[in-house]
Amino acid sequence: MQVDIHAPYKDRVQQALGDPNLRVAVSKATDRMSNARRASMDAIEGQQLRSQVRKMKEHVLSNWPDYLEQLESNLTRNGCTVHWAEGVEDAQAIVKDVALQNSANLVVKSKSMATEEIHLNHALEEAGLRVVETDLGEYIIQLADEPPSHIVAPVIHKRLEEIAEVFQDKLDMPPTREPTKMTSLARAKLRQEFFAAGMGVSGCNFAIAETGTICIVTNEGNGRMVSSMPRVYVVVMGIEKLVPTVEDAYLQLQALCRSATGQQLTVYCSMTSGPRQEGDVDGPEQVHVVLLDNGRSRMLARGYGEALLCIRCGACLNACPVYQEIGGHAYGGTYNGPIGAVTSPALAPEIAQFKELPHATSLCGACREACPVKIDLPRLLLDLRSDLVQQGASPKPEAWGIKSYASLMSSRRMYENLGKMASIGSNLYAGMSGGNIKLLPPPLNGWTAYRDFAPFAPKSFRDWWRDRKKLRRQA
Amino acid sequence: MSVRNTVLARLRETLRQPHLPFPPAQSEPLTHAERMTVTHAPGDIWAQAQRFALELHAVKGSCELLETVTEARLSVVSRLQLWLEEEQAARKTVDAERPEDWEVLCWPLDQLQIEGLPLILKEVGFKLIEPTDLHDPQQRDHIRNVRAGITTVEAAFASTGSFVVGGRGANARAASLTPFRHLVVIPFSRLFATGEDWLAEMRHAGKLDAYVRDSRNLSIITGPSKSADLEGNLTMGVHGPKVVHAILFDDLQH
Repeated sequence: MQVDIHAPYKDRVQQALGDPNLRVAVSKATDRMSNARRASMDAIEGQQLRSQVRKMKEHVLSNWPDYLEQLESNLTRNGCTVHWAEGVEDAQAIVKDVALQNSANLVVKSKSMATEEIHLNHALEEAGLRVVETDLGEYIIQLADEPPSHIVAPVIHKRLEEIAEVFQDKLDMPPTREPTKMTSLARAKLRQEFFAAGMGVSGCNFAIAETGTICIVTNEGNGRMVSSMPRVYVVVMGIEKLVPTVEDAYLQLQALCRSATGQQLTVYCSMTSGPRQEGDVDGPEQVHVVLLDNGRSRMLARGYGEALLCIRCGACLNACPVYQEIGGHAYGGTYNGPIGAVTSPALAPEIAQFKELPHATSLCGACREACPVKIDLPRLLLDLRSDLVQQGASPKPEAWGIKSYASLMSSRRMYENLGKMASIGSNLYAGMSGGNIKLLPPPLNGWTAYRDFAPFAPKSFRDWWRDRKKLRRQA
Repeated sequence: MSVRNTVLARLRETLRQPHLPFPPAQSEPLTHAERMTVTHAPGDIWAQAQRFALELHAVKGSCELLETVTEARLSVVSRLQLWLEEEQAARKTVDAERPEDWEVLCWPLDQLQIEGLPLILKEVGFKLIEPTDLHDPQQRDHIRNVRAGITTVEAAFASTGSFVVGGRGANARAASLTPFRHLVVIPFSRLFATGEDWLAEMRHAGKLDAYVRDSRNLSIITGPSKSADLEGNLTMGVHGPKVVHAILFDDLQH
């Protein structure tokens, strides 16, 4: 069953939990990637690497406008065309114009979260262009008409037999579940597209300010194809994807690869510093770089700048017990998992547009431990909850409940009396229901809709402590 | 005000706020002195070559370590012949031999530092394809079915089994990208213990900035193309070469 990303949050979660294939596929893959990450970071001075990448990125954000200007200046000096986009419409229009001006009817794309963020495929298709995703996972979900569900493994939610069905249905593949045959078919189909495309589009894993270099990281080689074969190459990059120097880029590359897939380095890191020059055999004749804000500067102003350190490795998704259960589509935004639960509301014009996401967490801290730049995601999620309350976006019964709880906790006598009443009542009720309470009255039935409620202890801790002290005195 | 100026002004204004929770007000850059080297490959050049081979094997590539240029020359030829036989044996149709089987997409072979290689390859029957403009439809179409490519490298890193290929002038990016098999020739003089060592040497010589900029494109390659997108099943040769074979030879002996 496919999760309807336009459905309300609770429905999306229900749909995800009701899909056994999704849970098996996601758990298997996230476990594998988490184990690989752990082994890879343990094999080196992993803590030092995390600290150094964080320090480097903190420095970039402290001097953000200066590094952006340096990058822009060097890209321009290298012969690239730099565009600035405030939001979705601007960015779509820029890429569309470049395509139309160059009569590029076919666009090949490398996997990019920034282009997902601006719904680029949809915009280009509306303009009459054909867009082909070339990362194998992205190609599959494009054929299946679904969005990606993981930052680095977009088709993580599908099992092999489901992918085989997509290939049979959309590519007329003879029935097989042989991964090598499926890959060969995709290679042959996509090779034709690479050779025919007039424009390539990619995101940017990081851009080197001192040289004006765009770096993209892939294992399949589609990033190299997209940035080398078509005459026009367009990069859509979030304005935070900056590193100061080439050495910083190499450091971040290693942190990214180890955290994402446990590799020392991915198969390809393609670094483009400009268009083809006279005498070059290949390479794009034009390189356009779209610097996309789309809420990033607002995110900094709102106090969520720490999440802009993110290098999009997906380690927090793999470590998250909530993500492992519900997968990516249940989050409903471009970004999912713990980083998505922060980024989606923090980037949005109104935080309340994603008011459920800061609650899609157990706050266990596994994401913080996995993050290669040590982003304190649980704290940011709590900050978001706090902001939602300040803005009056939390449900009224919840606000009333918290106020009542605060007044209860400020009176010892009231607290103890209510505790005693709850103990007597819940034990009586539980006794009638055979041990645990199966159904509570509204508004508490939200709890028992999904799980039993254990009755309160017959004796409170305070009573037990008093009795213990009494006994000791007597002894 | 332009979008550019609006965004930059907004960022500057935000960063001036005294109580902004992030980033920290005092934030120093990571200096060259403190930046760590992530992986290490100790030992002399032969130890490093062995480490390179080990790491490349670990990512499903293959490697030969040779003592002389003569051995390297023979090895290139025999590797191409072996691949040719494999291609023909794997083909199911009756016309087992096709002219493009003998074609090899390559960089100018004088760059490989293996004297006499073009001549011997031609003598054996291989046709070396050195395109001049891959936006020319005819040349582009020609390389579509070429099954093998030969390049050398800008540098190779022992600790990760990686190598760097550039993409300027006559060095087609396609040679290490579009063929099914990539033969990469690495003289010991271009082998470094780590990527950090190479960058440090370039930086020290004052060449790094201009080198990266002028290269237009540099690719760090670590093994053959692969994917685990099909429910974690590792498949090779998704878009780039399925086979990557490195020939390392000692050009430092004298």
